[in-house]
Amino acid sequence: MSVIEFAQVLYDSELGTALRESIYAFPIVEGLHLIGLAFSFGLLMFIDLRLLGVFLRTVPAQDLLHSLRPWLLGGFLITIATGVLLFIATATKIILLPVFYIKLGLIFLAGINAILFELKWGRNVDAWGTQSVLPTSIKYAGLISLMLWSAVIITGRLIPYLNYE
Amino acid sequence: MSIPELFKAIQTSDLSRFIGSQNHLFCATAQLFHIAGLILLLASIVLVSLRLLGIGLPNLSLIQLSKATKWLVWTGLGLLTVSGIVIFIPAATNYAPNTFFWSKFILLALALLLHVTLYRKVTASENPNPLIAKATAVMSLTLWFSVAFAGRFIGFF
Repeated sequence: MSVIEFAQVLYDSELGTALRESIYAFPIVEGLHLIGLAFSFGLLMFIDLRLLGVFLRTVPAQDLLHSLRPWLLGGFLITIATGVLLFIATATKIILLPVFYIKLGLIFLAGINAILFELKWGRNVDAWGTQSVLPTSIKYAGLISLMLWSAVIITGRLIPYLNYE
Repeated sequence: MSIPELFKAIQTSDLSRFIGSQNHLFCATAQLFHIAGLILLLASIVLVSLRLLGIGLPNLSLIQLSKATKWLVWTGLGLLTVSGIVIFIPAATNYAPNTFFWSKFILLALALLLHVTLYRKVTASENPNPLIAKATAVMSLTLWFSVAFAGRFIGFF
């Protein structure tokens, strides 16, 4: 099955059709995608800014990392689940847009960055988190995270606008 | 001048013609600033609310947290206002009959009212009454999320 055939199957599925045909379902899913973003990207942004040393620099980084982790991971779950629903409902159109693949590629890179950070630094945050100015490689991880997730949101928001061309 | 007349005047103004004559990516850029502002605002409210609700950031000073997010909230609102005006002007008459458009601004007025009264007062003290702190966080989150939802709904109706 090609990617386009797969998109057609999703688009024609009962779920895809129901989402498109309901007056409220699609905007509600869009709204939840946005709320999920406030928790996921929003809270992660604060951690990244702390790593960069420009936000709450007197607060130990582990206080933010430990406390915000469940909320931002929950936010990512909401964002991904609603994102999948939005994709199913519009699959045949989205699948033709280069910007959609760019967005997926950026999410992949941001995910890799998060996993590398977690493996190398996240696990032993208690050893370094209390410093107000953090090692350069931790700063870079924060900066890369901030830039990649920002680019994900920019490409995501551009999807309907690049549709016209 | 009635509201529909006013909105029509806005849409046919020179400024509106100028915005309308731009590439459609100009409008997309305004949408990008709109979502950037919204994320700064909502994320700040979420961060402070977790602390007010007692479900996150237990070791953080509430005053420090509200001071650190204050400028982000107002920067977010500034970005939302300017980009919102740019989005509104060239399509003003489309918004006049839209229920969600008006709902959004009623909710926004309530959210702002709460923000400059109870929210400001509660987040200015280190140990507010837990019940009042929780009620403030719930109301603030509900109102700001409702503003975002109503905004998202406008384009679909």
